[in-house]
Amino acid sequence: MEAPPVTVMPVTGGTINMMEYLLQGSVLDQALESLLHRLRGLCDNMEPETFTDHELVYLLKGQQGNPFILRARRSLSHPTAPWHLRYLGQSEVGDKSRHALVRNCVDVAASHSLPEFLNEMGFRMDHEFVSNGHIFRKGAMKIVVSKLSRILVPGNTENTEHLSLSYLVELSVLAPAGQDTVSEDMRSFAEQLKPLVHLEKIDPSKQRH
Amino acid sequence: MGVTCVCQVPVAEGKSVQQTVDMLHKKLEQLGAVKQGSFCVDCETYHATGNSSSQPSKLLYVMHNSETPLSCLALFEGGPCLIADANFDVLMVKLKSHFQNAKGHKVESRGSRYRYCDFLIKVGTVTMSSSARGISVEVEYCPCVVPGDCWNLMKEFMQSFLGPSVPELPSVFAAKPEGLFAPADCVDTMTQYLELFNKLRKLQIPGSNVR
Repeated sequence: MEAPPVTVMPVTGGTINMMEYLLQGSVLDQALESLLHRLRGLCDNMEPETFTDHELVYLLKGQQGNPFILRARRSLSHPTAPWHLRYLGQSEVGDKSRHALVRNCVDVAASHSLPEFLNEMGFRMDHEFVSNGHIFRKGAMKIVVSKLSRILVPGNTENTEHLSLSYLVELSVLAPAGQDTVSEDMRSFAEQLKPLVHLEKIDPSKQRH
Repeated sequence: MGVTCVCQVPVAEGKSVQQTVDMLHKKLEQLGAVKQGSFCVDCETYHATGNSSSQPSKLLYVMHNSETPLSCLALFEGGPCLIADANFDVLMVKLKSHFQNAKGHKVESRGSRYRYCDFLIKVGTVTMSSSARGISVEVEYCPCVVPGDCWNLMKEFMQSFLGPSVPELPSVFAAKPEGLFAPADCVDTMTQYLELFNKLRKLQIPGSNVR
């Protein structure tokens, strides 16, 4: 058995300072098919991709300040795939010249021991939900049309209930900080989806009840 | 990934760390081992800052291995471990108000990587804050994943260049039920490096707080 020669030294640091540019909207269930039809026409030609994910939102409370939030996601349709851990920073919405919400973003692929490990770090699960839907791509842009479901019995992803009678539509791009031109592309793409869906820059801090 | 054994090799009497490493290289080359590049294993230590709970905070270790260059391993001593991609390091930076990096405690082992038939041998100098603390030797027997099946062979091979300082079966394997194989994700190897690093840290600075 031949072991590969080592040519690369450990990469420490990963990809620093990636930003997520995001536009959000929603469509009623009845409008789903026409939106999917439009997206199939506009997006890159690829196999239709669907997903069913289970997301757990973890909080780490410090002595002061806001809790630190991490999102752990696993695929229910591909149970052997790695978990996805995500950190999202404060969103920048104030800048009028930008057409999308911008926030710092760290994506980490992790092994299945993630929930146990986060617990050991002091994180506690705050809430969980199931998201299922369709993914489309157009160049660097990602379009996710998904249905959110509440989990009725903690941990049991079989027993769920739809949160609403509509689908969440998200258009996002991951880019290094400062590449604001991507928000231009996103805006023009969002224009093409009108009037099926109105994708907007939504400030999550104003959504809290 | 086969079965690996990581051990500490004492510095030869009257010799420096570098001279002992050179001697080991020479012995391996005499055996017929071929040098194949270099390697590096490093370990960062973090401790939780907010000690709101009554229990003392555990140390969190984040390790990298050039053998798996895109991965990083995070573990609590004796607790759960996580294998993640290199972005985990970025996440630790974001978490710095909750987990502080004990900067002076970064330990690494760096050195040459040799191949001898089915064996991979890595002779490294263990350094902590730029001072050499000791020598590590990692031997991997690539074709086998069941420690119990190849331990005697590995031991015999190690004797051929380490002489009497051959280690016992690593405790990570001893703790496992007979016949159980080593996982392919190098957790066992990294656990052994962590044990070695912690031993060398304590050896050199007795009585001081390791944190």
